[in-house]
Amino acid sequence: MRRDRAPLSRLQALALSGATFLLLVIAVMALGPLLAGSGWWWLCTAVAAAVLFGGAGLRAIRLPASLVPLGELLILLATLTLFFGGSSSLLLLVPTADTFGVFGELLGGAQRTIQQQSVPAVVVPSLAFGLALGTGLLAVLADLLVLTFRLPALAAAPALVPILVPGFLIEDGAEVGTLVLTAAAFLLLLRVDVRVRRRAALAHHDDEVLITAPRRTPVASSVLPTIGLAAAGLVAASLLTASTPSVSTSLLLGSGGQGALFARGVSPFLDLGRDLRRPDAVPAFSYVARDGDRPYFRLLTIDRFDGEVWAPSDRRIDGDNAVDEFPTPTGLGDAVARTQHPIDITVQQLRTTWLPLPYPVSSVEGLDGSWFWDRGPLTVRSADSDTSGQQYRATMLEIDPTAEQLRAAGSRIPESIQEFTELPEETPAPIAELAAELGASADTAYDRAVAIQEYLRGPDFRYSVEAPVEESYDGGGLDVVAEFLKQREGYCVQFASTMAVLARELGIPSRISVGYTAGTPTTTRVENVAVVQVDSQDLHAWPELYFQGVGWVPFEPTPGRGTVPDYSRPGASETAPVPERAPGTPPPTPGARPDLDPERQLASGGSAGATSDPVVWPLVTLGLVVVLLLPAGVRSWVRRVRFRRVRRDDRGADAAWREAMGTASDLGSAAGTAALTPREAADVLLDELGGLDDAGRRALYALRDAVERARYGPPGTEAPVSEAALVELVTALRRRATPVTRVRARLLPVSLLDTARAGRRSAARA
Amino acid sequence: MPASSRRQPRNVPRLTRRGAGLVVIGAVLAGVSLWFDLRDVLLLAFVAIAMPLVGLGYAMLRLPRLAVTRTFAPATVAAGGSTRVRLTVQNRSRRPFDGARWRDEVPSPLLAPGEEVLPGIGSWERALPSGDDTVRLDYLLRTPRRGAYPIGPLQLSLGDPFGLAVMRRAVGGERELLVTPRVTAIDGAIARSAAVDGARHGLQRRTNPNSDELIAREYRYGDPLRRVNWAATARRGELMVREEEQRGDPEARLFLDTAPRGRTDEAHRGDAPDFEFELAVEAAASLGVHLLDRGYRLRVDPLDDGAPGRGEYREPGGGAALLLDDLARLPTPGQWRRRERAGGGSAANGAGRLTATRERRAPMPGFAVLVRPADERLAELAALRATFAPAVAIVLPSVAERWIETLEHADWRIIRIRRAAELATVFTARPTTVGAGAAREARWDEFLAGERDAP
Repeated sequence: MRRDRAPLSRLQALALSGATFLLLVIAVMALGPLLAGSGWWWLCTAVAAAVLFGGAGLRAIRLPASLVPLGELLILLATLTLFFGGSSSLLLLVPTADTFGVFGELLGGAQRTIQQQSVPAVVVPSLAFGLALGTGLLAVLADLLVLTFRLPALAAAPALVPILVPGFLIEDGAEVGTLVLTAAAFLLLLRVDVRVRRRAALAHHDDEVLITAPRRTPVASSVLPTIGLAAAGLVAASLLTASTPSVSTSLLLGSGGQGALFARGVSPFLDLGRDLRRPDAVPAFSYVARDGDRPYFRLLTIDRFDGEVWAPSDRRIDGDNAVDEFPTPTGLGDAVARTQHPIDITVQQLRTTWLPLPYPVSSVEGLDGSWFWDRGPLTVRSADSDTSGQQYRATMLEIDPTAEQLRAAGSRIPESIQEFTELPEETPAPIAELAAELGASADTAYDRAVAIQEYLRGPDFRYSVEAPVEESYDGGGLDVVAEFLKQREGYCVQFASTMAVLARELGIPSRISVGYTAGTPTTTRVENVAVVQVDSQDLHAWPELYFQGVGWVPFEPTPGRGTVPDYSRPGASETAPVPERAPGTPPPTPGARPDLDPERQLASGGSAGATSDPVVWPLVTLGLVVVLLLPAGVRSWVRRVRFRRVRRDDRGADAAWREAMGTASDLGSAAGTAALTPREAADVLLDELGGLDDAGRRALYALRDAVERARYGPPGTEAPVSEAALVELVTALRRRATPVTRVRARLLPVSLLDTARAGRRSAARA
Repeated sequence: MPASSRRQPRNVPRLTRRGAGLVVIGAVLAGVSLWFDLRDVLLLAFVAIAMPLVGLGYAMLRLPRLAVTRTFAPATVAAGGSTRVRLTVQNRSRRPFDGARWRDEVPSPLLAPGEEVLPGIGSWERALPSGDDTVRLDYLLRTPRRGAYPIGPLQLSLGDPFGLAVMRRAVGGERELLVTPRVTAIDGAIARSAAVDGARHGLQRRTNPNSDELIAREYRYGDPLRRVNWAATARRGELMVREEEQRGDPEARLFLDTAPRGRTDEAHRGDAPDFEFELAVEAAASLGVHLLDRGYRLRVDPLDDGAPGRGEYREPGGGAALLLDDLARLPTPGQWRRRERAGGGSAANGAGRLTATRERRAPMPGFAVLVRPADERLAELAALRATFAPAVAIVLPSVAERWIETLEHADWRIIRIRRAAELATVFTARPTTVGAGAAREARWDEFLAGERDAP
């Protein structure tokens, strides 16, 4: 591999640039599922083309290789100015100070839009700027790897960046076609590199060798093996991928078809919390309820609990369960009063395969696609479409149980419901104690449930979306519940799971529903009925408890959110049903939600930016300082290693001489950089410096003699070299340099390049 | 060079740095994608792992069918020189051959260029050869030391199209290259000759004065007119030419210390070149070629009986070439001793004695090149002085001073050389000195020329 670095002709360099361009452009295609439209791809293509082919042009005019990346960065800047600079630029290409201001704003906007937009994101100009900038930087990096360092295999690294992104954001990750194309483009790059290398080596071979090639060289001959091998590799990789079991499916939730809303999170809870923490609300859907109903809208029910994670039961979609007719809800007895109310729902920016519906419903009409209900929780999901743009009418079954009916349910639980009382074996002590305490305060299951709700809505508990994240007890596992009971700060997820766990601890079947609270009425009216708007801030989780004869009954343990059901108020023990929103109930009834909701207050976008900025800039500065000090750090480490070798006399003369020459070349002397023998180097050094003082000269001669003896003398005759001489020489050299040179030698030690070069040479020799 | 150390079997395909790097990247990527459950990236991870393995298989299955011929120009080369090796590589397969690098296998002291790219070769053209199925490779081979070296086979590094794996394969056979010892032209005549187109009268008369040289025969086409024997022509009435008799061929003897005793310094053992011995071989070659050029028949004897290097050479008849050939193949002392030990033979140990030639005749020139001779051999050599005129011992610095004295006492002329270049001048006249010195030098010249007895 000696002559691998034979210089390339312009055409050969251009071929490599072209292959790199192809790889990068195809890799960027992997972002397709995340972004709407295709204009952004053409933009990225243009930027990549400008950078890579601009770089090829710079090489064609024989610009030094070290300057080409800088030139490419300038080209990138000009391209970005052309596309985004607008009126702030000079001659459309030259950026001004204003242009950088524009760029800063665009970057900030890109950051915000990445936080806010759901998949697929609309490519607003700021996002387009982010994409163009990222592609350009990746192109510069790829060009550096392929053409400057001639390591095209490492071009996989920049190409992987856009490919990895979708995997973290959506369930399916990048599309298979794009992946295969990217792999093919990568192999093409390797192939082009191999050919270019051979051609260049053939053109620049050893002078003592004469190679007479045939007049016609077979070009087509290598095409078939190339394609065949690439196909074999890709097929083998596909088979391996298909046959590799997914080791982490059992831990994660993401097997079912929750779709994009709860795309791939560890748990829907965490996504819910993330959605709640978003600064700007995204409208989810609106509804019109003629009868003035303000129900909770449920998306899915999670009822399996393994101690760490709440997860939905894994149920197959049953084709018989069409949504035009629902069965009677589980456990609902005839004695309970029920009425039917139609609700018209229009979905806006909610994209999931679960349908937001009140519970229970008797029928749903007007849906596009195939939708089916699940047997147990009666949640509705689609086999082939999602909620976006749906408009449908749900007939809600309003059930109105009385406290007596609930109390009469007793603690009998049918076999089929038994599984909803399951808890892991070892419950943390605080939970068990609290459950025992609350259980002792009441006689019936219903009263105990009310006691739990009352306890959680008590004055000790505060609603906070941020606290669980900051104290890192987000989620709904047992240890999270224990931590939450200690911290007493959290949001619906913690409240709901705590109530569910406590209920199960007391033997009451429980589950958690995830969905939306009733939303905010708007001034818009349809047929004289107010349209109610539900947005992402209304995301909610609440516990449901099972009582024989009534079925699953929702509770509201979260203070400040939603509405407390009538039957679950502590005062509901009287026969007369308490009117809705009766005054004097202990917990605040959040009728006028919008302004009281705590998360509404933290939702103002400005505060988020204000908190992030002071943190980010010092971090960036710190990172910059670290990067700038890196060479100095490496150099001082090298120095320490060499001094240690001198002290231990582990090829000490060599180490001492290297250190002396390294210091010399750091200080700008030619003695250390050129390939000189020690004697020549010492002479050059003395020449350049115009003579050292006596001590320095003596030290120089001592070191020189020692290294000559070690390098050229017969083995066994090396004399140990004194550390003092090295220190003497180094200080003498430093003393002669100007302070500026000294600082530069510290911060930008040139000798590191020599060390690296020597290391590479020895590696190549090995 | 023992064959085992020179040629390691490399029939195992291995990954290039790029291929190994790709496998590592793939493994890391696979770990990451399994950990984070990124099924999409898993595909790329497996591509990165599978491609080098597929390449490995491909490289292993490539079986080149190539015919390689190798010629040297010049065919034999002197040590310290160089020769051009010409390789003709013809594709004998119906499929074109591409994607290989080549390097000629060369034993260790020779210097060949490193690995180079082999251009693509077209498919075999049986019917209408246009030369597209043939690649000509030509490289400069530097030959620092004498010896007979096998050159070849051609080592090909066969890779896959993506440069991920490589497999070493040897193609074609090997061919012996003879590197002869360097011959230093010796100025001045060591023994006078009258080598004028085959007639060697003066020489013969001097070396064998009793022989009757003049026998006339009839003229044959091609005989030079100068050789017409006018007296005999007049007597016989037809053209007669002089015919000399072969019996009186001048002969010279050269003793070469081909099996010097082991060296005393233990550090230089094994296959390290024995520079004194090589110098002795060079001196012997220079002397031998010089003598053969002068028309002498040369008999080379090893100092030790049973040691290699015995032979008789005459010119015309390719004697000089043969001599150089034999000297080129002369094993180094280390090799020879090893071979002796392996063969169990100990013929060298004093069984034979140095003897004079077949019959006692007039003294002939005798030369001895001494490296580290055994004691008894030197004594015998001293005793042979009487049969030689002149008797010259070329002595290397490794010969002990007392043995030089022994020879000097026996009236051997001692010539000390330290470098081969000194050979060119040691026999020529020294700078003229005045008086008795000058006279002695002049006599020395004559002595060397064989015109007078020892001074």
